[in-house]
Amino acid sequence: MATNDRELQQEGSNRDRMANAPACASLAVEESPSLPVDEARLLARLRRGDRDAAGEFYDHYAPRIHRFILRALGGFSSPPDADDLLQDTFLALAEALPFFRGDAALFTFACAIAHRKTMSFLRSSARRARIVSALEPAESTAGAPLSGDATLHRALAALKPQYRELLHLKYVEEATTAEIATIVEATEHAVESKLKRARDALRRKLQERP
Amino acid sequence: MNRPADETAIAVRLRNTADEMPQTRDVGLRERFAARLRDVASRPDQVPIEFDGNKIGARHGGTLLAAALKSRTRLMHLCGARTLCATCRVKVTAGAENLAPMSPLERLSLRYHLSFSSRTRLACQARVVGPVAVESVFPLCGELSE
Repeated sequence: MATNDRELQQEGSNRDRMANAPACASLAVEESPSLPVDEARLLARLRRGDRDAAGEFYDHYAPRIHRFILRALGGFSSPPDADDLLQDTFLALAEALPFFRGDAALFTFACAIAHRKTMSFLRSSARRARIVSALEPAESTAGAPLSGDATLHRALAALKPQYRELLHLKYVEEATTAEIATIVEATEHAVESKLKRARDALRRKLQERP
Repeated sequence: MNRPADETAIAVRLRNTADEMPQTRDVGLRERFAARLRDVASRPDQVPIEFDGNKIGARHGGTLLAAALKSRTRLMHLCGARTLCATCRVKVTAGAENLAPMSPLERLSLRYHLSFSSRTRLACQARVVGPVAVESVFPLCGELSE
């Protein structure tokens, strides 16, 4: 928003001659003010199409985003779906980086894209499942069960995907409420309420007998 | 901030299960991502757009408002490109897919100003990625004093 004004000034606009346009001091896009220095440098290299920067970014963030997608899918889908979503996320990210204003961490930005891709996938899967179940009754859509804490997996699988995402971001990625709000496109207050509901739902599911 | 004991236990169990999650098996994605980034970086910087019937150039990734002002096309923007006034509203007549997707803030501003058409965008927010034709909803009228 305010960043846009500086951008306009940088492009040599004649906005000062325009009616009622207030002069608004702000920070330049290229400086990426809220990013740590390393991230800002990495972002600049990514925008130039630097191959090493792409590799560095991928190695650092792909496993975390893959885990986020897997958690959001919650055992209803197999890893190939997660791989497809990871690919969609990274290719969309490459296209979106020129528009990234640097007002959030790179992980937050990438996770927001992964969130939108995953939710869109889940919505279309639910639609497909409804059509399939209407045509062919009693076909299970569950993917391969995960090993380890089976009770937790079962409880998580019974939660809404949005709750699984919130719990993952909060307790695994240890994201702040503001970061989560950016990722899921909600207010901080809404995130706090949903987190409480997600925790309560998980507690209830954990107490249920299989 | 201290967490209740059961919340901490949930956090530990969630982290443990996250550590057990499988890695991606898509080994070629790293290269495809790098190739896409190179492709995006090598795209031409200037994109032709049509603003109120005038053919002007826009910076790839720049806003419609920036392109309009740079080419001395007059367009009202009372709030100074902060999504507040929606006076820079434009109607997209062609190439809507060549504008970056609407941000939640832009959508909120348009809805607040009772603009629900998917072809209406805020020029201060809509970023150009390809050829597009737009018409301003509130063009400036009259002469401005120098």
